[in-house]
Amino acid sequence: MIGSIFAVLDRTGRSVIHVLEELGGMLFLFVSIARWAVSPPFKIRQIMKQMEFVGVKSLFVVILTGLFTGMVSALQGYHGFKMFSAESLVGSTVALAMTRELGPVLTSLMVTARAGSAMAAELGTMKVTEQIDALYVMASNPVKHLIVPRVIAGVIMLPALTIVSDFVGIFGSYFVGVGLLDINKGMFIRNMTKFVDLGDIYNGLVKAAVFGLILSFIGCYKGFKTTGGAEGVGKATTEAVVISAITILICDYFLTALMF
Amino acid sequence: MRSISTEAKVGLFVLVALAVLAYMSFRVGEYGFGHKKGYLVTAAFDNVAGLEKDASVRIAGVEVGRIEEISLKNGRAQVTLRIHPDVELEKDVQASIKTHGILGDKYIEIAPGTEEVGYMRPGGEITRVEQQADLDRLLRELGSITSDIMAVTATLKDVVGGEEGQTNLKAIVSNTKELSENLNRVVTQNNEKINLLVTNLNRASGSMQKTFASLHEITDKINKGQGTIGQLVENREIFDNLNKTLASLNKITEKVSQGEGTIGKLVAKDDLFETLNRTAVSLQNITEKIDAGEGTIGKLVNDEETVESLNAGLKSIDRSMSGIERYISRADSFRTFFSYRGEYLMSESNAKSYVNVRIQPREDVFYVLGAVADPRGRRTVTERIADGQTVKFEEYDKGELLIDAQIGKRFRDIAMRGGFFESTGGVGVDYFALNDTLKITFEAFDFDKDRNAHLKFYADYRLFRHVSLTAGWDDFISSEGNESPFVGLSISFEDKDLKYLLSSIPISR
Repeated sequence: MIGSIFAVLDRTGRSVIHVLEELGGMLFLFVSIARWAVSPPFKIRQIMKQMEFVGVKSLFVVILTGLFTGMVSALQGYHGFKMFSAESLVGSTVALAMTRELGPVLTSLMVTARAGSAMAAELGTMKVTEQIDALYVMASNPVKHLIVPRVIAGVIMLPALTIVSDFVGIFGSYFVGVGLLDINKGMFIRNMTKFVDLGDIYNGLVKAAVFGLILSFIGCYKGFKTTGGAEGVGKATTEAVVISAITILICDYFLTALMF
Repeated sequence: MRSISTEAKVGLFVLVALAVLAYMSFRVGEYGFGHKKGYLVTAAFDNVAGLEKDASVRIAGVEVGRIEEISLKNGRAQVTLRIHPDVELEKDVQASIKTHGILGDKYIEIAPGTEEVGYMRPGGEITRVEQQADLDRLLRELGSITSDIMAVTATLKDVVGGEEGQTNLKAIVSNTKELSENLNRVVTQNNEKINLLVTNLNRASGSMQKTFASLHEITDKINKGQGTIGQLVENREIFDNLNKTLASLNKITEKVSQGEGTIGKLVAKDDLFETLNRTAVSLQNITEKIDAGEGTIGKLVNDEETVESLNAGLKSIDRSMSGIERYISRADSFRTFFSYRGEYLMSESNAKSYVNVRIQPREDVFYVLGAVADPRGRRTVTERIADGQTVKFEEYDKGELLIDAQIGKRFRDIAMRGGFFESTGGVGVDYFALNDTLKITFEAFDFDKDRNAHLKFYADYRLFRHVSLTAGWDDFISSEGNESPFVGLSISFEDKDLKYLLSSIPISR
């Protein structure tokens, strides 16, 4: 009887400690990233390489996502607005949705799937093959060499990708709305420029930068904490993607509540 | 073919993304972003419910501006309008709040005024304001109208209703009947006389018509010769004469009106009517003469020269007024800023200070003059030939100040600068974002074939009105290991006194 009570207490305590350890580890890693990110020398080549990986190589998939999101939003919006003979509002609705929400969130989710997972897998493999320990032995800081360039690349490239995604999405809605559904071209553009504020675009970019930080940070953290061989690497990758995606969606709500 | 380097790919991508962002900013922020175009006028309304900031301002349905601000002033809504610079508003324009369709947005419609009263200056107020027709007030007014009508009908009921009223009505009807019978009798008895009266009247009206035609021509001429009115007012003599004439005319008409009985005479006597006819004919003669330009009044009406000289005088006054106005508006837009800027260079562990004066004669043009204290000092290179070899000596004089002297022009949210940067030639670009709170700057100077140019990239964020934070990267492609990230602070304030001092120096037109 007493024994089973103690077993329950023991398990509760263990899981609380585990969560706290995890959060503490994240915090420490974050502080050390912040410190190393601002102290020279800067690893320009490393940062460039990661920017190419996160940004340039994600361009195609982001353009495709943005284009079709914009197109399908226009198509769906058209049927709704047609009931009120307000088809010309399709453009502004899609533009607002793209710049405020869909652009940053979908871009971040795509990059999480593409680059966040790769970061976790790459660093995880390095961890289980003890390459990271080797770096420590060579008196070279792995946070500085491996994580900082990835995080910087994420923070800079996500807004850039989001700009492209916004633009391509709006272009897609224009193509569907004006080209296929024959909405009045002038009113379409006029309403778009009338209802979309610069604030909408900029706040979307701030969101994208935060999401970039989240996905690269979680990808690297999960990679660094990998244990247990090839199976562990797979588990770390999955966890990185799932946690990043959930965190991005939750943060999106709070950022929206704060900014708009 | 050599493959494109990683850096080039990243660079290209970032540039494309920034170009797209700039394009979207321009499209979205057509009005009211960064460097705002147009001038401000205000209008006070009793009620602006439903009117939003940034709603459009229209003339004849064409958008000519946006609403800049809505605030409360003395219990009324003060609406500030930003009007497009190409559009001039007359001083007596009328502003009213209108709605697009039934459910549409509210906007402000401006009804054009008259050109003669002149145009509104920036900061002016539209005084003629039509209040919003709100439903409550409409219903209240309708209520008071119906109560008035009810009072009238009640009185009518008192008068007509009842036995007394009915007998009165009967009496009225029988009286009217009697009157019309009498009238009938009179007409049948005097049939011939009435006929004669009508023919005479007919003749008289013919000559009258001619008189009026000539008079019409005269007034037309007076109308065209606007300037002459001025002379009429100036010339006391003419005015006095006119006054006297009018007075005697007055007397004549009084006499005519006193002789009421003449109508009876007119019926009996034929010759009086002839006289009237003759008078009309001679009046016709006089007006024809005036028309032909004979006599004093004729000259006054017809002389083109007087009119022209008067016109020329007015025009020159107008020109000098507009000159004064231009001068005043130039003084208004003239602004001077002083700023101090300190940058802590992390690699050098030392600070670099800038003191600048920024003179801005127009909103989009500015001049920067300043001095820079660089911990690295001022570099001087001397070449000496020793043993047939050129040897270069570089000296750093730490006490020397470097000079900034630049001219710049701003295009919406981008400003281009050129001139001396830290005592060497160079160029710079500023990008303004978030309503000018954020400024991103890139500068390139000190071009030398032996080493890399000095490039500097930084961002300023305005924290308070006068204080900005700055961070960036100085000389980041330096071939001499001078590159250094920096953080710092800049303090800037506007000098109002220097503005008037400088603008009082004569400037050529």
